[in-house]
Amino acid sequence: MSQGRLSTGITGFDEILCGGLIPKQAYLVRGGAGCGKTILGLHFLLAGSIYDEEALFITLGESAAQIQQNASRIGFDTQTVSFLDLSPESEFFRENQTYDIFSPAEVERESTTQKIIESVEKLQPRRVFLDAVTQFRYLSTDEFLFRKQVLSFIRFLLDRDATLIFASESSPNAPDEDLQFISDGVIHLSNEPQGRTIAVTKFRGSDFIPGFHSLTISSQGMQIFPKLRPEVHEKKFIMETISSGIPDLDELLYGGIERGTVTILTGPTGVGKTTVGIQFMKEAAGRGERSVIYTFEEKKETLLARCEQVNIPVRHMVENGNLLVVPIEPLHLTPDEFANKVRYEVETQATQIVMIDSVAGYRIAMRGADLVAHLHSLCKYLQNMGVTVILVNEMENITGDFRATDIGISYIADNIIFLRYLEIQGKMRKAIGVLKKRVSDFEKTLREIEITRFGIKVGKPLTGLRKILSGTPEWDDSYQGRNER
Amino acid sequence: MSDKPLILTVDRNRRNLELLRNFLSKQGYEIICASNLDELDRVLSESTKINLVLLDVSGFDQNIWGRCEQLKTQAIPFLIISAKSNYIAAIEAESLARGASSILVKPLVIKQLLHLIRSLLGD
Repeated sequence: MSQGRLSTGITGFDEILCGGLIPKQAYLVRGGAGCGKTILGLHFLLAGSIYDEEALFITLGESAAQIQQNASRIGFDTQTVSFLDLSPESEFFRENQTYDIFSPAEVERESTTQKIIESVEKLQPRRVFLDAVTQFRYLSTDEFLFRKQVLSFIRFLLDRDATLIFASESSPNAPDEDLQFISDGVIHLSNEPQGRTIAVTKFRGSDFIPGFHSLTISSQGMQIFPKLRPEVHEKKFIMETISSGIPDLDELLYGGIERGTVTILTGPTGVGKTTVGIQFMKEAAGRGERSVIYTFEEKKETLLARCEQVNIPVRHMVENGNLLVVPIEPLHLTPDEFANKVRYEVETQATQIVMIDSVAGYRIAMRGADLVAHLHSLCKYLQNMGVTVILVNEMENITGDFRATDIGISYIADNIIFLRYLEIQGKMRKAIGVLKKRVSDFEKTLREIEITRFGIKVGKPLTGLRKILSGTPEWDDSYQGRNER
Repeated sequence: MSDKPLILTVDRNRRNLELLRNFLSKQGYEIICASNLDELDRVLSESTKINLVLLDVSGFDQNIWGRCEQLKTQAIPFLIISAKSNYIAAIEAESLARGASSILVKPLVIKQLLHLIRSLLGD
């Protein structure tokens, strides 16, 4: 925790706020029904209990009992929080206490204000959450009085060294722009079909990470996944070449692929992209390094089984902690959540190779828009952290005119390695080649590749053939291997 | 008998009566309440000296105008209170014709009500 900041109780949120809330300020949290305003407030209040700070929850809508009950359902123990319940009691309904002779503002304001003053004076809270300040609107006869009342309420609390978060039930019919001007910070929560988000648009006295960040509410409460900012992450590393462990493949790549680069393995289905990628991880495991595969299409068990069949001891690697296979369910995560998962692996588990299998799977599995940009940002981050990234890209066409990738991601890549099917004399064969390598030179010829039960076998350069990229090569006139014709 | 001015409040809504009573007694007035015509009749038949009547017509039927006539005859000043309605002009005309000092539309603004009561009671 930064010096002089108050934790919100949500790690990701503290990160967005560059360390937490500044004490003795008033923050507005706004959003429609079901966005998580109350949960955010509870996190804030409970975070104070670690430091024995007095916390006060002032409720004007839901009853305290209801809030406590709902909080316990998500594992919150609200014993350390004091509640001031200003919600209407059931007697109001039972005894028909409705009235119209005076406006509610005239009747209730005094008692509400009095109760708040008494409670604050008695408890001297350090953290106060008010749910929802918009109820005050009904206690004011006009906008001017409402503003004046909220301002004086804030002043009253801040003068007593409290930090305040107040919720606002904003809707198009009851806009809350006025409150945004009054407060020192504005937090927006939203719940859209694409997912929940949080955004900060104002934070007096501090920087913050702008934009919308993913948010989930689960049985553990609220989790916030700050948008990835590759530029703020940096790690010193040596851009050495990492070998595939297959001499002929390394020869093709002039030594291998470099640390902190992005490699796209592209090719049609079944050609061996994933296997080639995992081959690099096998070699890394030999050096004691850790790799992670995010598999979007294939089941973990299938992946492990077929790797074992081609002599890559993945189970052994998994047992030793050198490999982690993470299946990602479709539409389960947002790009921010995924990026935070990857960050965890990189920053706390010292992962050195990350493979995303496949790019198309990533695009389908993630909720939200602009996925290529998200993938780009993730790759940039991994590059800055010195992690070797392997992106598996599946091409739809088996043979035919050559294209590097289908979905315009080539620009992300430092290296593009492609695999192709070749039809030579009626037999299906496979070739591997390099299209691009930013850091070093590479072999411009293609080589035959075979995936056998002994592992990957890469042959000598396929010279003497032309039109290889078409998938149906022809023998070059200079070709000498007559016996193969 | 105290020397505090006596105000009779008439309202079908008990919570309204309670609020009026709380507020007016804080201001130093003696209050009696009536929430239906029978109670009103009983209060009026007793010989208590009433200084002012606050009569909320909401929820009463046409018979209420007869009671207004009666107040006028007994020379008790009264204020008519009514909810906001499309017929407010008609209600106002009727009230003034029956001798009401003024008509007030709910919700009442406490300060204004107090001024009006004071001026009617000649404080």
